Amino acid sequence: MSTTHFVSGTWNWKAVGLLATGLLLCVAPASAHRLEKHFTVEPRAVITIHNPNGKIIVKAWTKHEVMVIANHVSDKVEVDAEQTGNRVDLRTQQLADSVAPDDLRADYDVSVPEDAELQIHDDSGEVSVANGLGDMNVETVSAGVALEDAAGYLTIKTVGGSFQCVRCAGRLEVSSISGSFRLLDLRSYHVRAQTSTGNILFDGEFLPNGIYRLKNYSGVIEVRFSPGDSFDLNATSLKGPVNNEAKLTPPAHPQHFSSKFGYALGTFNAGRAKVELTSFDGTINIRKRN
Amino acid sequence: MATIGCKDFPNYLERWMEGDRHPDALAHVRDCPRCRSLVEDLKMIQAAAQDWGRAESEPPAHLWNSLRAQLAQEGLIHQQSKRRGWFPGWFPALPRPALAGAYLAAVIAVAFGLSGPVNQRINRARWLEGTQSSTTPLRAQFASAEMNATPPSVPDSNPTVTASLHNNLAIVDNYIALCEKSVSEEPENELARDYLFDAYHQKADLLAQLSERGGYGR
Repeated sequence: MSTTHFVSGTWNWKAVGLLATGLLLCVAPASAHRLEKHFTVEPRAVITIHNPNGKIIVKAWTKHEVMVIANHVSDKVEVDAEQTGNRVDLRTQQLADSVAPDDLRADYDVSVPEDAELQIHDDSGEVSVANGLGDMNVETVSAGVALEDAAGYLTIKTVGGSFQCVRCAGRLEVSSISGSFRLLDLRSYHVRAQTSTGNILFDGEFLPNGIYRLKNYSGVIEVRFSPGDSFDLNATSLKGPVNNEAKLTPPAHPQHFSSKFGYALGTFNAGRAKVELTSFDGTINIRKRN
Repeated sequence: MATIGCKDFPNYLERWMEGDRHPDALAHVRDCPRCRSLVEDLKMIQAAAQDWGRAESEPPAHLWNSLRAQLAQEGLIHQQSKRRGWFPGWFPALPRPALAGAYLAAVIAVAFGLSGPVNQRINRARWLEGTQSSTTPLRAQFASAEMNATPPSVPDSNPTVTASLHNNLAIVDNYIALCEKSVSEEPENELARDYLFDAYHQKADLLAQLSERGGYGR
């Protein structure tokens, strides 16, 4: 590795000092504009973030305070952070008519109370949220969205951005056109996921009385189940195959399907959750979890 | 046990959306997943429309008129001269010309959602005719929306995002073509019709986003 080589080489401390200074000078413009602000808020505060391009990282903490650290390089944009009542609005403002895409970039690192409601809009870049218990609405165009340990009513909408949710709970509604979804270790009682050309992977619990609707146009929908799970399954692919490893009890009133359909229909164990998987010409896999 | 069927449910729908739930309609919605799903979708559109309306005013009156005329012509609702129903309640709330796509989404949702159950018992030719009569005006409105949109007055500050929107619009257009083919081959196939509805909905949404960015025509 270059670091090891550097340390064990013939460089002396003076050279190291000069190089470090040089590096600092190079790095300095990358954080040329740094904003740090703190806002004290009441329970269930609302935080809005509107950013055309860049990384947004939100973490929940136990304080009743919102801490914002925003960095941007260009002076053609600025970051506004304002509090109105129990709402904190963060916005990247364009200051010139003509701004190059890189100049639009702003990165946010935001800490919020656990019960805060989040409304995030980020066209490109990425969005990452961890540990939030409040409701959340995220909209992006190409930015990917990653949630971890989130709860509440989660509404995610992307055009082409991917979505990953790890250990999420509550109610999840996610839609995209070409983005793929990975829903891992979920404990949600209501999941509605729809993408056109993306893949959907669901590897989570089917809670009693839960409803799980996964739909795509093409691509692969894969659902993993454990022997102890309990669900009613209705999986249909209009023009694609359905590969099912779950031993299902057929419904009491068989339904008619066109022969073109790939489908799997029936009850697994007591059928406590409802699972609907639908694809137009994609593949649906219902796999036993290893 | 429900005493009405899918065919009758649209007669109760307007009052339903105003909060007047007839016991027969309640029983039917409880038993019928499709009509229940329709009601849920309409509620979502209603809520979204009300949200959009908070900031601005001036609805496109012609849109409501054409929608209502179309539904009446198809026998899905009855024309009522002075009564103010739930649809007008939405559309005054619908504001921004830039959200033309969203208006279309509402139109599509209603046209498709209602045409499904009503036409279920009709033969294949009628299915096809019903679908075409629903989609033809929508296609025309999409084309008009795309043609009437003005090019941006300022340079696009995020061409990557605009390109992504256009790429996804191409995906949806392809998806619409395939769904239309599928529906024309099997007009009675509800799943294919649902996919076509979804595709139109997505196109409307993308057009609205492009319109807001001034990104048409590129």
